[in-house]
Amino acid sequence: MISGSNLEQVLTSGQFTVTGELGPPQNGNFDVVRDKARILKGHVDAVNITDCQTAIVRMSSLTAGLVALAEGVEPVMQMTCRDRNRIGIQSDILGASALGIKNLLCLTGDHQKFGNHPQAKGVFDMDSIQLLGMVKAMRDDKKFQCGDEIKSHEPRLLLGAAANPFADPFEYRPIRVAKKVDAGASFIQTQIIYNVEKFARFMEIVRDLGLHEKVYILAGVTPPKSVGMARYMKKFVPGLDVTDEVIERLKGAKDPKEEGINICVDIIKQVREIPGVAGVHVMAIGWEQAVPEIVSLAGLSPRPGAQAVEPRLRSSESTELIVSEAKKDAKAEIEKALEQAKAEAQASRDLVVKEKERVTSEISGLKRQAEKDKAIAGQKETEIERLNAELAKTRAGQGHAQALKELAEKRESRALSSRERSALASLRSGLEALSKGLGINEDQLEALRRFFEAEFLLRLDTAEQVTVPSEEAAVPIEEMEKPDAEAETRHKEVINLVAKGNVLLHKNDAAGAIDAFEKALAIEPEEQKASEGLKKARKAYEIARPAEEAAAPEGIPPCPEGLSPEEWQRKWVIRLVARGNVCLHKGDADGALEAFKLALELDPGDEKAKAGLLRAESGEVAPVPVPAEPEVPEKAEVPPTPKPRAAPVTEEVKAEAKKVVPVPAAPTGMEDLSVAELPKEARSLSERAGSIAEDQFTEACTGVIREVSLDEGEKALTVGGASTLPFHLFEGDMPYVPRVAYDVLDSEPEDWPDVLSKYYSDVLSDPVAWARKCIDDYGAEAICLSLVSTDPNGMNRPSSEAAKVAQSVIEGVDVPMILWGCGNAEKDTETLREVTNLVGNRKVCLGPLSDANYRSLGATAMAFQLPVVASTPIDVNLAKQLNILLENLGLSLDQVLMDTSIGAVGYGMEYSYSVMERIRLAALTQQDEKLQVPFICNLGREVWKTKECRLPSDDHLGDQERRGVLMEAVTASTLLLAGGELMVMMHPKAVALAEALIKGMMG
Amino acid sequence: MNNNHQIGRIAAFCCNYTASVATDTLREAGLIPESLDVKKLPCTGRIEVRVLLDAFEQGAEAVFVAGCRADECHNLSGSRRAEKRVGYTKKLLKELGIDPDRIEMFFVHYGETQPVVEAVREMTARISKLERLHST
Amino acid sequence: MIIAEQKPLDEILEMISGVEKLLVLGCRGCVAVCSTGGDKEVGVLASALRLGRKKAGKPIEIDEATYVRQCDPEYLEPLKEDGEKYDAVLSMACGVGVNFIADRCPDVNVLPALNTTFYGANLSSGEWAEMCAGCGACVLHLTGGLCPVARCAKSLSNGPCGGSVGGRCEINPDVPCIWHQICEKLTGRKQDQLLREIVPIRDWRPSGHGGPRRRIREDLLP
Repeated sequence: MISGSNLEQVLTSGQFTVTGELGPPQNGNFDVVRDKARILKGHVDAVNITDCQTAIVRMSSLTAGLVALAEGVEPVMQMTCRDRNRIGIQSDILGASALGIKNLLCLTGDHQKFGNHPQAKGVFDMDSIQLLGMVKAMRDDKKFQCGDEIKSHEPRLLLGAAANPFADPFEYRPIRVAKKVDAGASFIQTQIIYNVEKFARFMEIVRDLGLHEKVYILAGVTPPKSVGMARYMKKFVPGLDVTDEVIERLKGAKDPKEEGINICVDIIKQVREIPGVAGVHVMAIGWEQAVPEIVSLAGLSPRPGAQAVEPRLRSSESTELIVSEAKKDAKAEIEKALEQAKAEAQASRDLVVKEKERVTSEISGLKRQAEKDKAIAGQKETEIERLNAELAKTRAGQGHAQALKELAEKRESRALSSRERSALASLRSGLEALSKGLGINEDQLEALRRFFEAEFLLRLDTAEQVTVPSEEAAVPIEEMEKPDAEAETRHKEVINLVAKGNVLLHKNDAAGAIDAFEKALAIEPEEQKASEGLKKARKAYEIARPAEEAAAPEGIPPCPEGLSPEEWQRKWVIRLVARGNVCLHKGDADGALEAFKLALELDPGDEKAKAGLLRAESGEVAPVPVPAEPEVPEKAEVPPTPKPRAAPVTEEVKAEAKKVVPVPAAPTGMEDLSVAELPKEARSLSERAGSIAEDQFTEACTGVIREVSLDEGEKALTVGGASTLPFHLFEGDMPYVPRVAYDVLDSEPEDWPDVLSKYYSDVLSDPVAWARKCIDDYGAEAICLSLVSTDPNGMNRPSSEAAKVAQSVIEGVDVPMILWGCGNAEKDTETLREVTNLVGNRKVCLGPLSDANYRSLGATAMAFQLPVVASTPIDVNLAKQLNILLENLGLSLDQVLMDTSIGAVGYGMEYSYSVMERIRLAALTQQDEKLQVPFICNLGREVWKTKECRLPSDDHLGDQERRGVLMEAVTASTLLLAGGELMVMMHPKAVALAEALIKGMMG
Repeated sequence: MNNNHQIGRIAAFCCNYTASVATDTLREAGLIPESLDVKKLPCTGRIEVRVLLDAFEQGAEAVFVAGCRADECHNLSGSRRAEKRVGYTKKLLKELGIDPDRIEMFFVHYGETQPVVEAVREMTARISKLERLHST
Repeated sequence: MIIAEQKPLDEILEMISGVEKLLVLGCRGCVAVCSTGGDKEVGVLASALRLGRKKAGKPIEIDEATYVRQCDPEYLEPLKEDGEKYDAVLSMACGVGVNFIADRCPDVNVLPALNTTFYGANLSSGEWAEMCAGCGACVLHLTGGLCPVARCAKSLSNGPCGGSVGGRCEINPDVPCIWHQICEKLTGRKQDQLLREIVPIRDWRPSGHGGPRRRIREDLLP
């Protein structure tokens, strides 16, 4: 910050700035200045106080500026060279600085000929450019113009200057601006603009000279109050270009004042679109009342709250005034407070009564909730036990499988009937559903599958009285798993197995129980409970089997207890039909045929099965919408062995069971990462709209976003292509869904919170492994490699080294890659060029390209035909300008992703949103071709560096991980809704949430 | 300083080619009043401000210059120059507090006498309305 | 040359109101060339003053003379004696002449008949324009030979102000904008780099703001 003025803060924040103007009176009336300041307060960021403008004697700008400052309006003091020499000017500047003035507009000044003292001697000791240089030297070199040192308290002023784009010679005007910038101007306010076209040409030259990057240019505007005023300005004010259009508009207007305001607003809107214009300077001298309306109509209100506007000087009179007013206020306040207190006392009495009632009801509610929770807990326990049992079965199943193999060999392979095959198939898909429902991993699933297949075949074989020697098979597995098992673990295992056996026995799964007991005995042959259990189980097995065989229809598992065979059969029909439909959907005609046939065997009258069969036979297997019969609940409801309604389990079993539940880190994480699907809207929008005609609520867009492809080959991704606002699928098309890339850092992050880094803890130091983990474990579709190590302000790893790391990552993964530099334009150019030299044929995406390095990196991208990320600060104009520059360079916008800079939720996300939204609207509805470019949103890094993601869990903020995940997911959701096409994220759970949103929104 | 001769109450500076012909004709006809002092110039363009002022200094109540019509000047721009000198003299008279109407430029067509008569009448009429510049 | 302009006659009459014997003294230097103070003008002025005084009923005796130059001591020598014969000497030289008479001829009551206006050139017969301000620190090599100190209304050093329109100065459309001309000239000569350089604040001392100026050339001193 140069002076820290409010104006400077607004300008540097990148917001479109508004300054106003206040002409001091031609007398000594304090109130006039104060009243004008009050009108402008809050509507502009700072106010120019003119210095005897048009050479007419007025209250001095310093004095009037102080009055404005006392009103909380930040002054921009104007200083001309007409009336003072260098001694007077420097003296006034010291005074201004001492009294809290922070902005100075340096002018040469209107010639005295125009004023009311044409006889006066014009001083013109220096000109405006020399004035700028002088004040800058006072400020920065702490030197008076003569070279003497300013020993302390040098004036710290933000310097501005004027420019007239309509004066001649036209070509010289921007050069003069450049001189002013070189001399020390931080901002420029222009002459009143009516001829916007000419101003745009002026700005073009200004941009060519690169001045818009060095100085903030505020376009001068003035509402013409009447035709007369406009004509006067056109005729008599040199260097003011009033167009005929303006005069015609005023002539034709019913209310010229209103039209004058409209003209001014139109001009503001037009100049705002010109790249390089940082704000407007609204000059409504003598018509200050119009300013609030103009600012508001131009969409520039409210202004950011004024900062650092503090008067240093108060007159004793005004102090007394303030004191007496404050006293009055205080008295009124006290009375008011008293009243309020009385009312509050009464209210709180009422409240206490109400609160008592509420608390009572809440307590009872909580009680109910607690009971409910208890019940759920019970159910969960049961579930755990069931899983436990299944696990045990799995193990046993491996034994069975071995036996089966031997059996098969013995019999020289017994061919399965087609019915048996289809039963097996149904078994398999049932298992898949189960695995999804329960979050079982692949190994477990495979084990289960083998078990059930074996079980199934065994059941076929048991009809022929083939017994399976399961004991021998089971034991070695146990031993293999626990080669050094100590006595205690063995013992626990045994107890566990016995418990399982008991549970299974209770569930009427005698075979499973037998296995469990046998296993227990294999470990500890002397175990009494196990041998007792085994006996019981064998007995039960003998009794149960004939019954099962009698009750169960062919091809379906035995009917569980508590269900009538009819119900059991009906469930299976539904399930088979569903499976058939799934197969149809996947394009598996054979699978579908089998499923429907099986279903019809069980219930020849089932209409859905018939219809399905017809479709399957006709080969109609293309993606047909899944029938209304929802598949999801089926999956949950039909486990291979139905849940018992209430399983009485002993305390002992419960305790043991908990320990056996698979709890290693990774599987738990994976389980955490699953996300519920977004409920789909069952009815289409047109359906919901009822009788409202479609054209009443849809608005088709005329523009189309370009398609940008990342990488080539099978795993290539394409983003963009939208011809509608995000997810407005009822209005247009989004041919490519938004995607998520995982952020991988090229060096171990030091400051990541544990809740994030734990997902990558084993790979943080190895970017290749990290990227692979993202792909293999978390299903990443793209990787963004952040080259953070190259930052000259950080590790400053040499480009060549960083490039090699990048090369190994690029060669180590097969998904599309984005290379994201450290943000230092020079270093990024070096590093990214190095990388492209190493892996020239891979179509990696390069970023970020900024206005500082777009030429060099753009050229590289063109040479290798690589997509790029065009990065700009949060601003529509800057984004557009960079696209134009890239296109001028010869780079096709089909290779560009826009990064308009991201703020996390709570950290400026609304700015990102509104800029993206405006860009997207311009692209889609106004055919702004330069903006029809997809967005990339590098948001993970922004979210996870926030304070909120780093504070530990506590009662107030809740769980840290949940908090971080939600912040990332909410940021991503918002940016998706703003039109973001490619998200770069970090936390797998947040990614899962974002992807669920995308999936849900895409229907 | 060289022109010390007294002239009458009206001094006339006449072009040798045009106005002088008229004044000669009038003089022969006895129509020129005593009070008119006619000074012939080879060309009115030769007239100097100083000479005009001297005429006043030496007793003229009014002074006129009669030259060729602007498009007929023998010396092309002589009478127009004379007109500017008359104009400057008017300015000086004004600064001296003397009515600038006391001096005038007239343009005369070759051989015409009437405009000269008109000029004399005009100047006589003008000074008759003004106070005397010279006491006697 | 130095351009001057005769003061209004009423002002001069006022100045010499108590004078009965006056010498109107011309100068054949600059003021003669610019037709303000040479022989001719001396005659006109003397005649006019006589007329004016006569009209006012207070005739005056006026002699006329013209010196080669009033700003060199040798030419002023005769005036030391002759001057004392007059109640006043009305100098038709520039201010330099008046001052020098006052310096050199302490007993002469010297009065100015002219306003000395500027250093200028004769554009055409009867028309003169300012070309130099005598600022003592010439920058003409940087400005294509056109002086912004003398010829810009604000004496700007760094290019035309916002009031330059169509090559004319904002103070009066009859005044050309000298900076416009400088820009065109330098651009045409491919010297436009000069237009981009910031000219620092001037030292105005050589222009007279440092006090009366004096120049000494040792080798010529007596």
